[in-house]
Amino acid sequence: MNNLGFALEGAWKVLLAGLVLGAGLPLLFALGIRSLAYGAGGDASSATGRPAHPVGTVVAWILFVVVLLGVALGITFIVASGFGKELSFEHIFPTIVDK
Amino acid sequence: MFTLWIWLCNASDDHRVTQSSVILVLVVVTALAFDFTNGFHDTANAMATTIATKALKPRTAVALSGLLNLVGAFLSVEVALTVTNAVVKIQNPDGTPQAALTADGGSALLLIVLAGLVGGIVWNLLTWLLGLPSSSSHALFGGLIGATVAGLGWAGVNWTGNGSKLDGVVGKVLLPAVLSPVIAGLVAAVGTWVIFKIVAGLFTERSFKWGQIGSASLVSLAHGTNDAQKTMGVITLALIASGHWTSVTSIPLWVKIACAVAIALGTYLGGWRIIRTLGKGLVEIAPPQGMAAQSSSAAVILASSHLGFALSTTHVATGSILGSGVGRPGAHVRWRVAGRMGAAWLITLPAAGLVGAAMWWIGDLLGGGLSGALAVFVLLVAAAGAMYWRSRLLPVGHHNVNEDWSAAAVPEPDAPDPVPASVASEKVRLP
Repeated sequence: MNNLGFALEGAWKVLLAGLVLGAGLPLLFALGIRSLAYGAGGDASSATGRPAHPVGTVVAWILFVVVLLGVALGITFIVASGFGKELSFEHIFPTIVDK
Repeated sequence: MFTLWIWLCNASDDHRVTQSSVILVLVVVTALAFDFTNGFHDTANAMATTIATKALKPRTAVALSGLLNLVGAFLSVEVALTVTNAVVKIQNPDGTPQAALTADGGSALLLIVLAGLVGGIVWNLLTWLLGLPSSSSHALFGGLIGATVAGLGWAGVNWTGNGSKLDGVVGKVLLPAVLSPVIAGLVAAVGTWVIFKIVAGLFTERSFKWGQIGSASLVSLAHGTNDAQKTMGVITLALIASGHWTSVTSIPLWVKIACAVAIALGTYLGGWRIIRTLGKGLVEIAPPQGMAAQSSSAAVILASSHLGFALSTTHVATGSILGSGVGRPGAHVRWRVAGRMGAAWLITLPAAGLVGAAMWWIGDLLGGGLSGALAVFVLLVAAAGAMYWRSRLLPVGHHNVNEDWSAAAVPEPDAPDPVPASVASEKVRLP
């Protein structure tokens, strides 16, 4: 296989991972904000004081925690690669292994 | 620097600083200078959107980014010494310098490395003066390629690798440069589009502040681990070539500290001209776009280094910001600015290469020894001084980094000159 083949193979994987993490996490974050607004009642653009929905607030924070876990994964990856380790997704749950 | 001096004096048996030791000091100082330019050139990658959307004050943003670069640099415990192997053949596969280049205190290798570094620095400074983001790694590679072609001929360059993995100038520089803005742009465009769909009708711009700060911090940290390593590798290579270090599995502590501090100081200084272009010049960025762009940058940079398809931070960050403009309904992208950046990327490799080659020839003409290295160093200082002086004519700093792009009060990237009225009116008409 030549360089172009390797590059395209790497590129689509990076694109896929980028879409899941780079667009997926912001999506969850935005959903969290929407949910938070729903939980607080009203939709912020109208001050008509609709009833609050506590479930919206709960869902929002669950979503924010998922986003934070994504960020933690990123930090773990940076630190691990600095120490010559890498993350393995072999068992789905990320584990730190030797490079 | 003082530590280095003491260390060198101890290293030379007769307590006399030899010629090659002075050349080595010049190489180390130049490498740290490159690391410094690498820092301020790339502040924009992490912080341009955060500054443009006012999620952080300009000075807070560069301080945070500098600090995270420092931390990131110290996290690079395992430093690869084979950094130049991707593009040139001056090292063996295990990281030791090629034997043919280490005679006479390694002066042959030191001159190539010095000329290459100067090529990288000059290109970094020129693009900074023009306010154009361009990849520091590509500038360094370009300089090294030019110096190697001049010193060892075309065969000294690793153009395509041996076909067993992604390698060589084509595999490590050209293909990633083409693909990275596309990948990052797509991710950011999708992210921006869904965010605006979801939060339509909500006045929530402030909520995105933390998302932006978080993702920008990740980019800064990753930058510290990736980019400071390159200079650490180059300096250690020079130390091995001149016989001041032997291990290929570890690097001297002072090298790590010096590189970490240089890149962090550079980042803290902030390449305001580039921050301005990326934050204000390409698209008008709203907080949700900023978050989408930075998340895309962080995810793509980390995923690419995990998958062994290393992409330049600069290309990814620029692609992401462009993508966030494409993905926002009704947003306006200044494609002319994007086109200028694209042009700068295309000529990064040959331009830095020409400077690198010219420096090697000048050094070689003067005998390749101490006088040659000194001449190259003096030329670098003169070029850097001239460009700094030029930049002071129309300074861009934290005070005016966020001014309206079309206002002529601050320079356009292609015109650092004070613009005559006739030209200025043409600029204002820019969309």
